[in-house]
Parts: sequence; structure tokens; C-alpha cells
Amino acid sequence: MTRVVIDPITRIEGHLRIETEVDGGVVRDAWSSSTMFRGIETILKGRDPRDAWAFTQRICGVCTTVHAITSIRAVENAIGARPPANARLLRNLIMASQMVQDHVVHFYHLHALDWVDIVSALSADPAATARLAQSISDWPLSSATYFAGVRERVQQFVDRGQLGPFANAYWGHSAYRLPPEANLLAVAHYLEALDWQRDFIRIHAVLGGKNPHLQSFLVGGMATPLDADKQGSLNMTSISMMRKLIREGRAFVEKVYIPDLLAVASFYKDWAGYGAGVGNYLAYGEYPEGDDSNAPLFLPRGVIRSRDLSNVEPMDPAKITEFVTHSWYEYEAGDSEGLHPAAGETRPNYTGPEPPYELLNTDEKYSWLKSPRYDGLSMEVGPLSRMLVAYGSGHSRVQELVNYALGQLGVGPEALFSTLGRVAARGIETLVLAEKMEDWLDELADNMGRGQLDIHDNSMWDPANWPAECSGAGFHEAPRGALGHWVHIVDGEIANYQCVVPSTWNAGPRDAAGQRGPYEEALVGTPVADAEQPIEILRTVHSFDPCMACGVH
Amino acid sequence: MSTVAPPAPAVKPKLVRVYVWDLPVRLTHWLLAISITVLAITGFYIGHPFLVAPDPAGQEFVMATVLAVHFFAAIVFSLSEIARIVWMFVGNRYARWQQLIPTSKSRWRQTWEWLKFYIFFRAETPRFVGHNPLAGLTYVLVYVTLIVMALTGYAMFAVSAGAGSPMRIFAGLLPLFGGVQTARWIHHVCMWLIVLFIIHHISCALLVARAAKNAAIESMFSGYRFVSPEDLAAEEAGSER
Amino acid sequence: MAKSESWFVEELERRGVSRRDFLGFCGVMASIMAMPREAGARIARALQTEEKPSLIWLEFQDCAGNTETFLRAARPTTADIVLDILSVDYHETIMAAAGHRAEEARAGVVEGKRGEYIAVVEGSIPTGANGAYCTIGGRSALQIAQEVCGDAAATLAIGTCAAFGGLPAAAPNPTGALSVGDAVPGLRNLINLSACPANAENVAAVVVYYMTFGRWPPVDRYRRPLFAYGKPIHDNCERRAHYDAGQYVENWGDEGHRRGYCLYKMGCKGPVTFQNCPKIGWNEGTSWPVGCGHPCIGCAEPDFWDKMTPFYAHLSGVPGFGVHATADKVGLWATAGVAAAYAIGGFVQYGRRLKTEAATARAEAAAARAEATTTEAEGAADQEKGGQS
Ligand code: HEM
Ligand code: HEM
Ligand code: NFV
Ligand code: SF4
Ligand code: SF4
Ligand code: F3S
Ligand SMILES: [Mg+2]
Repeated sequence: MTRVVIDPITRIEGHLRIETEVDGGVVRDAWSSSTMFRGIETILKGRDPRDAWAFTQRICGVCTTVHAITSIRAVENAIGARPPANARLLRNLIMASQMVQDHVVHFYHLHALDWVDIVSALSADPAATARLAQSISDWPLSSATYFAGVRERVQQFVDRGQLGPFANAYWGHSAYRLPPEANLLAVAHYLEALDWQRDFIRIHAVLGGKNPHLQSFLVGGMATPLDADKQGSLNMTSISMMRKLIREGRAFVEKVYIPDLLAVASFYKDWAGYGAGVGNYLAYGEYPEGDDSNAPLFLPRGVIRSRDLSNVEPMDPAKITEFVTHSWYEYEAGDSEGLHPAAGETRPNYTGPEPPYELLNTDEKYSWLKSPRYDGLSMEVGPLSRMLVAYGSGHSRVQELVNYALGQLGVGPEALFSTLGRVAARGIETLVLAEKMEDWLDELADNMGRGQLDIHDNSMWDPANWPAECSGAGFHEAPRGALGHWVHIVDGEIANYQCVVPSTWNAGPRDAAGQRGPYEEALVGTPVADAEQPIEILRTVHSFDPCMACGVH
Repeated sequence: MSTVAPPAPAVKPKLVRVYVWDLPVRLTHWLLAISITVLAITGFYIGHPFLVAPDPAGQEFVMATVLAVHFFAAIVFSLSEIARIVWMFVGNRYARWQQLIPTSKSRWRQTWEWLKFYIFFRAETPRFVGHNPLAGLTYVLVYVTLIVMALTGYAMFAVSAGAGSPMRIFAGLLPLFGGVQTARWIHHVCMWLIVLFIIHHISCALLVARAAKNAAIESMFSGYRFVSPEDLAAEEAGSER
Repeated sequence: MAKSESWFVEELERRGVSRRDFLGFCGVMASIMAMPREAGARIARALQTEEKPSLIWLEFQDCAGNTETFLRAARPTTADIVLDILSVDYHETIMAAAGHRAEEARAGVVEGKRGEYIAVVEGSIPTGANGAYCTIGGRSALQIAQEVCGDAAATLAIGTCAAFGGLPAAAPNPTGALSVGDAVPGLRNLINLSACPANAENVAAVVVYYMTFGRWPPVDRYRRPLFAYGKPIHDNCERRAHYDAGQYVENWGDEGHRRGYCLYKMGCKGPVTFQNCPKIGWNEGTSWPVGCGHPCIGCAEPDFWDKMTPFYAHLSGVPGFGVHATADKVGLWATAGVAAAYAIGGFVQYGRRLKTEAATARAEAAAARAEATTTEAEGAADQEKGGQS
């Protein structure tokens, strides 16, 4: 047995440490730990609930907006505010553009280097690369000259002798399997995606003033006035600007991201056999299509147990609990209890080794992440869960795209429960949303045309109109999965606030019953060819798109 | 001496007319009174603009005007304030700083008697000629508050003053106050302290005028007030009544 | 010069950027930094030097918002910065290496280029729990910051968390979080680029400034570059004419809101916040918070999470009175209370006086019967007058 420790896990958000036992070239056991805590739930106590979104948004700058929207929903739920239809449309557009942008950045800038060998790209033939590119897509930037230029740029960069962020990686590792041309194609798109994401996210600047950390949210609605004819409002110029950005964004997803995803996946089909994890999937569902609390959701909510796609159960928030048995916190009722978030506690209690340290004591408490459970079970959340719940619930576009992808790769549905499945589901979801966004924009423009300009429920703005004591919950599907905030309000101030976050679900440590969290479970069985260069561990961990600032907060 | 003052004499005392508030004191007092009233009203508007101008912008300057009035009043206020402080070292014995800061034991004791009067513990006013010593002491706080008001005000003003403006030196005060928003907070809190003082001040002027029958209110216009010869003698001898 | 310039110019041309465009870009940079136009030429020269300065980007108690900002850089682009301008030798969010190999890359720079590299810090530094609130590779944020920033040519604290403590340091500061300047006192060349997150344009401008002149730009009392933090938002705000006119948004979505009226009454902190948001905008000038209809929350200022909240109120609360009890509300109540107390007290006093006067009158009447007295005319007249007023 060898203890293989990776700390920091890079190309993620935040501070993640993975400890594994490797034996015979395979991971036998794994422990996931996050090593940074801020205490935002504590900081929120005693504050104005209408401010909470701005605080929680700063839980994470990568999935910016998601905690803002969830917080707004929780407070609206508590005080009984009813945002108008336009606010829902604006929020849907904000959430979907966040999702699309985040997924593309994850694929190219955070995950790709686990599959793509930059050094190998230097030996690619530009003409062959152009042929490859043209065979998978009609994206215009695909000439031999273009790829020759990219190769030269990378060559010059390498020749200057300062590899910067690309130094010290596992280049040349036997686990890299793409031919040089595919590597060059991916490198070119790594650079293109860098420009693309910056342009695409300007939708957020239109709708939120800036990105990251939009500033247009309000409890009860949105702060962006609508009026087709006024300069001080979101007007026809804004609509056409967003339409252009959405269309260009969608074209990139259709013509670059999806073809690249399928091309890369076709070389790594064996990864459909690794990294399955706990096999239970949870989705809160997202993108309301109407304004009452049980309005249909564009992506459905539900729970799948033990990979049984034929039985998508309804989700019951009462079944959610969080454990701290192996987390650096204490509960008043004892550390073997699980608490429902409405009655949750955040009391830090560090019992680990004093830094600097070599190893954590993984038998005891070993992470700042808590361990959320649904009906006592570890649940995976994220794009894969959402796509499986949608697939199982009969979402036609999702079924169509999942079947298309499986067909292209020549694999069966069981391939979905894997590291590769996670990567594919993320791409499919990106396309589904990129296609959907323009519908919401049309609806918004339509409302503006009809002079329906409401953006806010003013009746509940004044805290004097709130019940003396109330509590609420807000749910959202963030890029990394199911996100919930619970708020308790007394005399217009926050009395308790709890966030149960996608990366907490996925990266959390063991619970009181010793059940592993999804990362830990997914790592068991992962091959590791060279314990000094554990790239395979990175692949499975990255497939979840970890975000530790979210996970711990 | 007993701590409880003797009951009021059954006989009306003979009172003498004394010139206490010399002209600069009266002048600065009323300039201050006027400027502070204007500052408080315009200041409240700046914080809570309740009048809303019709469209289009550029033809109305409601806030801009109120701000300008606030600043002009602030200038009157600051100059009067400075003049009054200077006069504390130049003016007659009743204008002096010793009237504000008790320097003798007896004045401290008097202060206590006045406190009892104000909390309705004692029916009769203790005797005095110039400043009632408790009021004198509260004026110290009032002066401090007024100075803080001016400093926070000028510090906020300096933030937007032009690059070459000498007013910019006041921006140097901002770290002392903990930033502009905190300066603004202090400016508001001090405004309320001043409002409270004024309520107290006017109520007490009425109260004392009635109780002591000494023409306290008129004195701020004429300069003269009425005191008993014993009080005057005691005051002049530098000891208590 | 010839060699280093040629690769650069070739490089630009290959990417469809003419020499003129590039000089134009340098001019834009110069104008953001409010420098004379000729400075553009100097910037252009500086950007072509062959040895790229090393940069170590540390993330501590952060949200990676400033890293995302860095990814939004457009002038120059992130790719330009990473590939051509700087050698980003350590940045957890983007670097390919992981685990101890990542840590080795950082150690290599710290040891090999002592005093020459630039340190960027994102996020605050916790001092509680002996550093266990933030560790990387088993070492505490404070240990790493001391080692890396201590030997850096310059340290850039990016975002309000790194610059001033920010969100983790908001009351009650559960982890004992500090700004970089406070956690590692005495750093040479510390510059704070506050805002939550910092604006990509300002980040790029600072980098270019530093590359050009080899020193940081002039700073304000919080060590923020004056070119970006020299004036309050309020002074450059496009809604300022409405502020001066007295035209304010009264309710979200009302006619004034749609017309772009001033957000002052909705709690805008533009008058007390220093940054160039209204001048340069965000995301390549697309918009900015006040521009899109929401008040400024003061994100570039120290302690804004405590001092600028509640965000929708003009002023913070008075300690001990609850979050919605702003200074003015408490002031109004106190005034009403004191006025009422005086009114009541006045009545009580008046009642007592009536009694005393009745007694005095009886005593006087008795005395008068016994003995006739003369009173000084003037005094009596005035006493009378005082009694009536
Ligand atoms: C009812 C009429 C009033 C009378 C009889 C009166 C009387 C006095 C007296 C005797 C003093 C001490 C003067 C000195 O030593 O300088 C004084 C001080 C003061 N009064 Fe009044 N006052 C009156 C109304 C007001 C009003 C309406 C205001 C403000 C709005 C005001 C503001 C002040 C201030 C700020 C001081 C302290 C500054 C100073 O000593 O000059 N007073 N007042
Ligand atoms: C030398 C004396 C004073 C100066 C220079 C001064 C200056 C200022 C300035 C520059 C502002 C604008 C603040 C901003 O932009 O937010 C202001 C606001 C204000 N002032 Fe004064 N002031 C002075 C005295 C006073 C006094 C004596 C009062 C009240 C008794 C007062 C009450 C106010 C109030 C309530 C505001 C509103 C502040 C806000 O809401 O931002 N000021 N003053
Ligand atoms: N985990 C997580 Fe997030 C997301 N997506 C949020 O809730 O990343 Ni920053
Ligand atoms: S300053 Fe704001 S954006 Fe930057 S790390 Fe802190 S919370 Fe995130
Ligand atoms: S919106 Fe804010 S920054 Fe703009 S003028 Fe009004 S108060 Fe000033
Ligand atoms: S909130 Fe921050 S981004 Fe600018 S407008 Fe205000 S300083
Ligand atoms: Mg939590």
C-alpha cells in the first residue's frame, strides 16, 4: 500500500486535498478533504436578509450568481415575496449563461489538460489537423495555416524557456492517448475558448452590470428596469446585443465544444468503466417555466437510487441531513447526529494536525466539508445527475442528445455511470441550455413589447411587512449540482443561515455510518500507472468539477 | 453645607440687573442658531431627499441647491464657531472658557445641584449669574460635537473638491473617522445629538426663565439678566452663593 | 532591441495585429492610467523584453472571483499575459501541475528568483486555529504568504479580501482573517487592488504600468493606484445629473428607475466609494453595477461588508438597536422621546410651581398684613414679566 497524497489539487476552484491508498496500480481507498474555511454562514447572522445574496454570492467567484439566486429564493420563500414573470426570465437567462460559460471553461481550461498533451501538439502536422478539424465540424477557424500559426505560437512560447503554468506537468505520461493532431486541435480551442468565455459572459454584464459577481439581484425581483424605448433601462439595444451573444455562444458549443468532446472521448472509452461512484443521483431541477411555486421546470427534479433510471423518485427536502462526524465541526447534540439544514449548525472545531503537516488523520475528522446525505445516502449531484433525471423523466431533447452521444461513441447507457459519463453529460447539458436561452430572451422581448414591465414585488420590500418570525428554503441547480440555502428570520434579521452545496454533496467525507462521499467512492478502483504521476486520480476528481470555496464556504 | 437647598425664601428677593452676554456672544449665538437650523434642515434633506423634481434633469437643481445652501450655512457656522471660541479668551468674565469647564470645587458642587434640578428632583433653581455650571459643562460637549460636525463635514466635502482646492487637506481626516461612510454616519449621529441639545436647550431656557424669573430668554437679545445681589457678590468673590 | 522587437512584431502580425494597432493599445493603456500620450511608446517597448517576469499567484481565503476577472482581461488578453507578457509560474486554478510538483514549481521561483518575481495574493489570510483555516500542501496560508511575499519584488493584493480582509474578515470574523498587508507587515512594494472582485481593466493596467516603469503607480492612503481609485464613483456617475436635480428612484421598477434616475435613495454608496467603474465599465465597458440599475454597494472600500450594510439603507445601524435601526431612525425616536419627556416634565414642574406659588402667596399675604414692604420697582416689573412669559 502506498499513500498517494495530492495537495493541492489544481485546475479547480479552491483548496482540495486527496489522500489515497494505492496498491497494485489501483486506488483501494480514498479520502477527500477541503482545507479552507471562512464561516460565511456565521457572518450572515444578525444581518438584513435582503443583503444576504451579496454575501453568499461571494462564496464562489467561479459559479458566481448561483448562491445569490438561491439566497434570494430562500428569503422570498420565507417572507412570501412573489417576483414577477420578467424577473424569472432575467434570472433564467443569467443562470443559463452562467452554466454554459462555466461548463465550457471547465472542459477547456480546467479538465482538458488531463486528456490533452500540449507538448505532443508541437509535433502535429497542421494540414492533418485541418483535415481532422474539418471532418468533425464546419467551424470556420480550421485551415492548415491557422493551425500552423497556433503551433508556432506554442513553439515560440516553449522556446522562450519559461513554461509558466504548463511547467512540471505530466507531459508524455503513458495515459495520454490523443494523436498529436488532436492535441493541437484541442490547444487551439483552449486558446479560442479563452476569448469565447470572455465575450459570452458579457450577457452577465448586460443583465447584472458586471461579471463575476453580478449586482442586479433583489429580494422580490430584479434591479434591471425594462423599457424598450429608454436609455436608462434594458432596452432593444440590450436585447439585440444579448441575442447576438447567445447565438455566437451557441455556435461555439455546437461546432467546437461538442465535436471536441466526442473526438476526445472516442480515444478514452475505457474511462466509461472507471469513476462511477455512489450511483445515487439527486437533482433539485431548474429553470421555472411559470411563476407559482409548483410551476414546471425545464430540467426536472428527482432522485435516482442505485442507477435505476426507470424509477425517478420525487425529491423530498425533508430527507436532507448533514453530518460532521469526520468534519472539523461540532454539533450540540453530538457529532454522530445528522441535522436538517433548517436546524443546521456551523461551529468550527479543528482537531487535525497543526500545520505544517504531512498527513491527515483520516480515521478521525479530516475535512472542512460536511457530509450531506439524502435519506441517509451519499448522493452525486451535477450535470450527470441532472441529465440522468431528465433522461429518466422523459425529457425529449435530453434523451435525443444522450442517445446521439452514446451512438457516436458506440457505447451503451451503462457508460453514463462513469468519469467519462460525467464529462459527456456536462457537454450535453451545455448544448440543451445554449439552445433554450433564446426562447427566454424572446419571451422577455415580447413582454417588453406588450408594455409588461414589472420587475419587482414591492409589497414585501419593507421588513415591516414581514412576519415576526419566518423561515424558508431556496433551491437551484448550479453548474456543479443541487444547491440549497435555508434561512431563518426573526424580527427582520437573519437568525440562522445554512448552505448545502453541490461540492459538499460530492466532495464530502465519510458520514457517521462510515459511508464514503461520491469523490471518495468514485476514486476506488481507479488505475494509477505511476504513483509519482497520478494523472488518473486527477481525471476522476476533475470530472466532478470540484469547487471547494462552494463546498466549505 | 446641606446637600438639599433651603426652601425658597418667602420674601421676593431684590434683584440687580447685570450685563452678562456681551455683543459678540449674542451675535455668534444667533448666527450659530440660524446656521445650525439651516444645516440641520438641509442636511436632513441631503440624507433623505423628500422633494422630487420633475423631468428632465438638467433644468432642476434641487439637490444641488440644497447642497449649496448647506455649504454656505456651514461657512457661516464655522466662522461663528471660531469667533465664539476666540471670544472665550477675550470676552468678559461670562464669556470665558472657565464658565464651561468647572475649575473650582464649588462649581462642581453647583453642577450637582443643577443636575438635581433638571431631573425634577429639586424644585428651585440653584443660583448663578453667567452660565449655569451644568449647562456650561454640557456646552463643552456641544462644542466638541459642533467641531466634530465641522470636521466630518469638511472631510466629506474634500472628497469631491477639485484637485487644486485647498479644501482637500481635510480629506486627511478621513482615516481618523474610518472612511467616508463612517464620517457620514458620525455626521448624522452628531446632527441628532445637536437636535437633542436644542430641544433641551430651548426647553430649559423656558423652564429656567419661569423658575428663576431672571429674564433668561431676553438676556440673549439684550445682554442683561437679573440676579440677586448675593449671587452677584458670591460670583464676584469667586465662591459659591 | 532588434531581436526582441522582431519576434514580438512578427508575433503580433501573425495574429492580425498591426504595429499601429499595438501602439494604439498602448495609448489606451496609457490613458486608463492617465499618463501622457508619449508614455504609450514606453509601454510598447517594455512589453517586448525577452525575459518574462515570474509571477506567483496565491489563493487563500478567496472565492476565485479575481482569478475569473483575470480570465476576462481583454487589453491585453489573458492569453497574451500568460503566453507573452508574464511567466505565470504558479496559479492553482490554471496550472497543469498538481500536488507536490505544483509546490515545487513555486519553491523553484522563490529560491531561484529571490527579489525578482511578482507575488499576487487573492483572498484573506486566517490567523485563527494556528493557521488550520487555510492550508495548502499541509502548510498554512500565513507560512506561505510570509515566504512568498517576503521575498517578492512586489506584492499585488488583488480583491478586497486580500487588500482589506474583505468577506472573511466581516464581523464577527470567525477565522481571524487579515489582509495581506496586516498579515505580513512591512512588505516592500505592496499594492492593493481592491473591489470584489477587482476590475480586469485595472488589473491589466497595473501589470502594464509595472512592466513599463518597473515600479507601482502612485497610490492613495490605502495603497490603491490613484489612476483607478482616485475619485468617488459619484463624481463620474452617469446618473449624477439626476442626483443634482433631485430625481431619485423611489421604488424598484418605477418610472424613475426606468428613466435611469439616481439610486441614492435605494442606498447607493457611490458617494463614499472610490473606483473608476463609471469611467471604464466592466467586461470591456459593457456596463457597470449602477449602470444596470442597482446601487453601488461600496465593494472597493475597507470593511464594506460591515460599514456599507444594510446595502439598501443610506446609513448603517446604531450598535445595539438592530439591523434596520439606522442612525436616522434612532435619532428621530430619540428626539421624539426627549421632546415628550420635556413636555411631561414641564407639566409636572408647572404643577409643583402652582402649589408653591399658592403657598408663597398665602405667606406673602400674611407678611403683608404684618408689615408693609417696598420693592425695587425695576426688579418687580421684570419679575412680573418673567413670571408671565
Ligand atoms: C430661546 C432662546 C434661546 C436662549 C435664551 C438661548 C440662550 C443661550 C445662552 C445663554 C447660551 C450660552 C451663551 C454663551 O455662553 O455663548 C446659549 C448657547 C448656545 N445656544 Fe442658545 N439660546 C436660545 C435659543 C437657541 C437656539 C434656537 C439654538 C439653535 C438652533 C441655540 C443654540 C445654542 C448653541 C449652539 C449654544 C452654544 C454655543 C455658544 O455658547 O455660543 N440657542 N444659548
Ligand atoms: C462646518 C460644518 C458642516 C459642513 C462642512 C458640512 C458638510 C456636509 C457635506 C459635505 C455633506 C454631504 C455628505 C455626503 O455627500 O454624503 C453634508 C451632509 C450632511 N450634513 Fe453637513 N456639514 C456641516 C455641518 C452640519 C451640521 C451642523 C449639520 C446638522 C446639524 C449637518 C447635517 C448634515 C446632514 C444630515 C447631512 C447628510 C449627509 C448624508 O446623508 O450623506 N451638517 N454636510
Ligand atoms: N459546488 C459548487 Fe458552486 C457551483 N456550481 C455552487 O453552488 O462552484 Ni463554485
Ligand atoms: S474580494 Fe470578492 S471576489 Fe475577490 S476573493 Fe474576496 S470575495 Fe472573492
Ligand atoms: S446613482 Fe449613486 S453614484 Fe450615481 S449619482 Fe446617484 S448616488 Fe451618485
Ligand atoms: S459596488 Fe463595486 S464594482 Fe463599482 S459600482 Fe460600486 S465599486
Ligand atoms: Mg453549509
